Amino acid sequence: MSAPTANGNEAGPHVELRRVTKHYGAVTAISDLSLKVEKGSFTALLGPSGCGKSTLLRMIAGLEAITAGQCFIDSVDVTDVPPAQRRIAMVFQSYALYPHMTVRQNIAFSLSVAGAPRKVQHERALEVARILQLESYLDRRPAELSGGQRQRVAIGRALVRKPEVFLFDEPLSNLDAKLRVQMRLELAKLHADLRTTMIYVTHDQTEAMTLADKIVVLDKGTISQVGSPLDLYNHPANKFVAAFIGSPSMNFFGAEIAAAHDGVASVVLPGGRGARARVRNDARPDGPVELGVRPEHLALTSADDPAAAFSGSVVIVERLGSATILYIDTPAGPLIAQGEGNLAARPGETIGLALSEANVHLFGPTGEAL
Amino acid sequence: MSAAAGLADDAVAAVSARRLSRLRNVNLLGLVATVATVLAAIVCAFPLYWGLITTFKPEDEIVRPGVQLWPEHFTFQNYWHVLTTTKIGVWYVNSLVTSAGVTVIVLAMAAGAGYAISQLDFPGRRIFWGLILASFMVPIPALIVTHFELMSQFHWINTWAGVIAPQLIAPITVIIYKQFFDSVPKDFREAAAIDGATEFQLLFRIYLPMNWGITTALAIITFIGAWNLFLWPFVAVTTDDQMNITVGITQVHDAFGVSYGRDLAVAMLAALPVAIVYLVFQRKVTQAIMLSAGIKG
Repeated sequence: MSAPTANGNEAGPHVELRRVTKHYGAVTAISDLSLKVEKGSFTALLGPSGCGKSTLLRMIAGLEAITAGQCFIDSVDVTDVPPAQRRIAMVFQSYALYPHMTVRQNIAFSLSVAGAPRKVQHERALEVARILQLESYLDRRPAELSGGQRQRVAIGRALVRKPEVFLFDEPLSNLDAKLRVQMRLELAKLHADLRTTMIYVTHDQTEAMTLADKIVVLDKGTISQVGSPLDLYNHPANKFVAAFIGSPSMNFFGAEIAAAHDGVASVVLPGGRGARARVRNDARPDGPVELGVRPEHLALTSADDPAAAFSGSVVIVERLGSATILYIDTPAGPLIAQGEGNLAARPGETIGLALSEANVHLFGPTGEAL
Repeated sequence: MSAAAGLADDAVAAVSARRLSRLRNVNLLGLVATVATVLAAIVCAFPLYWGLITTFKPEDEIVRPGVQLWPEHFTFQNYWHVLTTTKIGVWYVNSLVTSAGVTVIVLAMAAGAGYAISQLDFPGRRIFWGLILASFMVPIPALIVTHFELMSQFHWINTWAGVIAPQLIAPITVIIYKQFFDSVPKDFREAAAIDGATEFQLLFRIYLPMNWGITTALAIITFIGAWNLFLWPFVAVTTDDQMNITVGITQVHDAFGVSYGRDLAVAMLAALPVAIVYLVFQRKVTQAIMLSAGIKG
C-alpha cells in the first residue's frame, strides 16, 4: 500500500485512518478500520449500500465525529479539526449547489465567506470555469443547468479551494448512463491534470474499476480487500469481493476437493465431473468448498464434449451486441455465461460449459479465497 | 354499404347526444355554482360597498330612513374634514413605524430562533422548543395587564417602543421558520461548513435566501397584523400624537360626535394601505395564512 502510485508521485500516506470506529448509538457503522491513501492517488471506496463507505468519507471530511481512532491528513492529526480547516473539498451526490446563487457565486462561495476581494473571487471563478468549460454559464442559476453541468459546477466549487484532498460522495449517481460515462472520463482527465489525491465513494464497480488506481472494498464497516482494480478482479481475497466485482456477477456452487498438490486442487463438481483449480501453496483444503467462476470465463462447448464441466439447458438469452449473456440451468444450479459477440445459442438448447484452471476460484467455509 | 353507413351515423349521433347531455349537466352545475359564489361575494362585499358610498354622502342623507345605494349628492366633505382637522398624518406615521418595526424585529428574531432550534445542537434546545410551542397556547390579550405594567416600569407608555415590544411575541413565526429550515437538505449545510461558512453566514447567505418566499409571506402577514392591531396600541397610548391609525379612528368619533360619514371615511383611510398591500401581494398573503394554519403550501 505504500508502493509508488501509478502516476509516479512520491509514495507516502497522504490520508491515513488509524483504527477508526464509528458508532451510531448501538449500531457500529465502522469497526476498527485502518487505511492509508497515497498522495496523488485516486482511491475508490466501493461497497454495497450500508457498508459504511460514505460514513468513512464523511469522517475524513470531518462531517462525522470519529468515535475512536485517528484521522491524519499530510501527517497532521485532524481527528478534531473542523472540516473547513482540513484542506479538503467535497463533491456531494446531490451536488448541493445553492439554488439562489449563480454559477459564479456558487463556485466562489468559499472565497466569499473567507472575505476574499470581489476581483479575486471573479478571477478564480473564471479560471475554474475555464477548466470545466463553464464560462458561458457563469451567470446562470443551477436550475437552468443540465445534470452534467451542475455536476461540473459542484466540482468547480471544490476546485476553487485548491484542496489537498478531493472527496467525492457518489457524484455520478444522479446522472443518466450516457452522461455518467462522459463525466467519468472528465473526472479521469481532471485527476490526470491535477494529480491531487482523490477519494471517491461509489457502489458502482464500473466507476471504481475505470477511475481508481486503488480500490478499497468495504463490507459491514470493515475492509474486505484493498488492491488495484485488476487485483480485485483476478485475485479476490474472499467470496464477497469475488461476488461484488464483475458484471454479471461470479457464479458460485458447492464442490468437493478430492486432492490438492503443488498449488493445484482437483475438485469434484455437482453432477460428478471433475475440474482443477489453482490454490495457494500453503492452503490445505479438504472437504466441501465453494467454486467460483466468472460468466466470461465459462467457455461454451457442445453438451457431449468430454472437456465440459457441466451441461445444461439455456433458459434466457440476452444479446447486448458486443456480448451475449446466457442463463443456463445446470445440475449445479442456475449459471450465467457470457461470450463475446453474438452467440448462436437459443433458449431450450442444451450446451456444455468448460472451465479453465486459471480462472477458477475456490473459497473456504468462511468465504476466504483458497 | 349504405346499411353500414347508417349504423355509423347512428353511432355518431348517439355519442354526440351523450356528450351534449354531459355538457348540459356540467353547465348546469357550473351555473349554479357561479350564481352561488357571486351571491356570496355580494353578501361579503356589500358592507364594504355600503361603508364606501356612505363616506361620499352628506350626513343628512346618511341618517335619512330607507336604502339608498348611490349618493344623491356626491361629496368629499367627510374625507376633507378628516384630512384637515385630525392628526391622521401622524397616526399614519405611527402605524407605519410601529408595524414596520414589529415586522423587522419579529422576522429577525424568529429566523434566528427557528434556525437555532432547527440546526444547532445546544443544551436546552428541546426545552426552548417546548416553551415556544407552549407560548403558542397563551392568548396574548390575557397578558395585556402584565404587558402594561412592564411597559409602564420601562417608561415606554406613549412611545413607539411600548407599542412594539409586546407585539414581538410571535411563536408561530418561529415554528414556521423551524419547519422550513428543517426541510433544507443537510448537504447544503455540510457543503457550506466545508467551505468555511460560520453559522451567521449559513443563516443569512444560505438558509434565509433559500426560504425568501416564506420570509416575504411572513413579513406581509406580520405587517398587516401589526397595522390592524387595536387593543394593545389603544391601551399603551394615551396621547393623540402617539396614536396608531386604528386608535385614531376612535378619536374622530369622540371629538366630533357621532358622524357616520367621517367615522367611515377615516376607517377607509386606515384600511387603505393594508388593502393595497393585500392586492399587490395577494398570493403571498394566502400562502402565509395557509402556513399559519399549518398547511405547508
